[in-house]
Amino acid sequence: MSVLEIRNLHAAVEDREILKGVNLTLRTGEIHALMGPNGSGKSTLAYVIAGHPHYEVTEGDILLDGESILDLEPDERCKKGIFLAFQYPVAVPGVSVANFLRTAVSNVRGYTSRPVDAEGRSGVIGSNLMPMREFRKELNEKMKEFNVDPSFARRYLNDGFSGGEKKRTEVLQMAMLQPKFAILDESDSGLDIDALRVVADGINKLATPDRGFLLITHYQRILNYVKPHYVSIFYDGRIVMTGGPEVAHMLEEKGYSWVEREFGEAVTA
Amino acid sequence: MSVFVKETESIAQSVQGFSEETVRAHSAARNEPEWMLEFRLNAWRQFEQMPWPQPTDESWRRTRLTGFDLNHFKPLAVATGQVEKGELSKFLQDELNEMDSAASMVFEDSGLRNRILNTNLDEHGVIFTDLQRAVLEYPELVRKYFMTEAVKPDLNKFTALHAALWDTGAFVYVPAKARVTLPLQVILNQCTPGVGGYHHTLVVTEEGAEVTVVDDLLGAKDGLQASVVELILGAGSVVRYMNLQDFEHSAWNFLTGRAVMSRDADLRWIQVSWGSRLTKAFLDVDLMGPGGHAELLGIYFPTGEQHIDHQTLQLHRAPHCFSDLLFNGALKDRSRSVYMGVIKVFPGAQKTDAYQRNGNLILDPTARADSIPGLEIQADDVRCTHGATVAQVEEEYVFYLMARGLSRPQAERMIVQGFFQAVLDRVPVESVVHKLESVIERKIGG
Repeated sequence: MSVLEIRNLHAAVEDREILKGVNLTLRTGEIHALMGPNGSGKSTLAYVIAGHPHYEVTEGDILLDGESILDLEPDERCKKGIFLAFQYPVAVPGVSVANFLRTAVSNVRGYTSRPVDAEGRSGVIGSNLMPMREFRKELNEKMKEFNVDPSFARRYLNDGFSGGEKKRTEVLQMAMLQPKFAILDESDSGLDIDALRVVADGINKLATPDRGFLLITHYQRILNYVKPHYVSIFYDGRIVMTGGPEVAHMLEEKGYSWVEREFGEAVTA
Repeated sequence: MSVFVKETESIAQSVQGFSEETVRAHSAARNEPEWMLEFRLNAWRQFEQMPWPQPTDESWRRTRLTGFDLNHFKPLAVATGQVEKGELSKFLQDELNEMDSAASMVFEDSGLRNRILNTNLDEHGVIFTDLQRAVLEYPELVRKYFMTEAVKPDLNKFTALHAALWDTGAFVYVPAKARVTLPLQVILNQCTPGVGGYHHTLVVTEEGAEVTVVDDLLGAKDGLQASVVELILGAGSVVRYMNLQDFEHSAWNFLTGRAVMSRDADLRWIQVSWGSRLTKAFLDVDLMGPGGHAELLGIYFPTGEQHIDHQTLQLHRAPHCFSDLLFNGALKDRSRSVYMGVIKVFPGAQKTDAYQRNGNLILDPTARADSIPGLEIQADDVRCTHGATVAQVEEEYVFYLMARGLSRPQAERMIVQGFFQAVLDRVPVESVVHKLESVIERKIGG
């Protein structure tokens, strides 16, 4: 079992503090939903875990199996098993999904750090990739399993993709990279009900005992399809309440204005 | 046969500096007919009369010829005669082997070295020969088209010099309805350092003909190359032309190219500018007849101290024509690029559909790209768009790719390659695409 532990995490952007002491422990096999109003800092938390250079961690730590990952570059965090599904995946023109994913998968699985390639030829470390046939086969299988049209392999990464297509491609990438911990930043936002179902199905397929999920969302509706073990309410840069699935239901009944009334005072005090 | 095989040492050595004498000796060495000598001498007089480009000329404001002196070069290289393919240097053989071509010609210095016909072009009346020989064998065609219609000698100082001293180059003539499916490959390797070279490409297609021509330009160490490209497209003909310039970084390179297009002609011109210390390239497409379709695509990637300048003209003289220009360049180190372009729509050229885009990716803060797009529209029912960008690699792209396990160099490399992809996707010859990809790879890495 692996553990991702966020301890008293403070983070700032241009001297403005956005995360104000986040504490959260995520174990493999768990789905932890993080719900909060817009602007509460949920996405910042996701970015900070993934290592976005724009944010400065001013206090606290993030530990993966007891070791701090704060000094690691984003790609090193990814190789250690942390995956961030973006709320707004950027379009990278001219870079095909297959080409990009082959490099990503080769890095994460260690092909690129081997001194010899798959055929046993020696080459420059860093230039070796997963064998094309093997990669293609796996990609095709995963595309089928996660409802991504095979034509997407040749398309440019997120370029001209609809909102649903982008989110599905994020799930596909997660399936290929097989992370230990997946942080899903509003993977449900902007989706119609059919697209939401496809994304939720994908998450459920990947929710195995060896993987943990932090499911960041504004709305309760994805939780109709993906059942969390824990639900936390995020407000003004920190977690203000944690419980079981009943927290989500309560939140749906009472709304975010209730959170503001209940916890707003304490924060400003 | 001897006329195109050898230019003797003694004549080449008697050639002293850039002079009328040199022009005469050059023509005599090739046993040229009187009319070609006259043509050269005329051009030489024009060259002498024309002023050198001045920094005050709009075309030369951003590209200065500081350090350029004609007297630093020998006016012409010596031709060394033809050899079998197997006797060519290894890298030239590799170049030939990489492409599945209908026919090929290799030029080294000022003469033809090797010509191979892989298909029976004669059977269809297709001419693919070196220009030197064409002057003797097809004088009517050469007289009709050589620097008479597309690029005239007095267009600029360098075209005049070219007309007086032209040495290597291909003559391609495709008669009506004939289709050459595989590319015709032309390689110029200017191997002697410090000399002038004047490579010419003349492609003439008759009605409904189809052809693909690839020009590979190499060498020119410490040298000068003043080349001219003339593409004359008959009605409804289809031409794919690739000009792949990969000169040494000490070469001065001046290119003037123009495509003249009749009704319903279809052109795709790929201009690649990798090498040279300085390049000034004038590239025009002239849509003379209605229904023409022209694509002008360019890529450049200066590094070190290289200076690459493209100046384009999309001339819409006739109605219902389409033209699409896309030039993408990445810049490293202290390099510099200039792009200037004008879409000109003449009165009466209604329903013109024209695009012009220039993208620049700055990889080092010391590099600089200038982009000056322009429109001149004299018709009222047209659609024209243009745009230019000068940007750095988006940090958000880099973060996204890094979050998926790519190292920073891998991510940046992929973004730069992707930036060129919009042009590479439209390069119609697979082996050329692979070659361009490997150069991009090399340029990013080095």
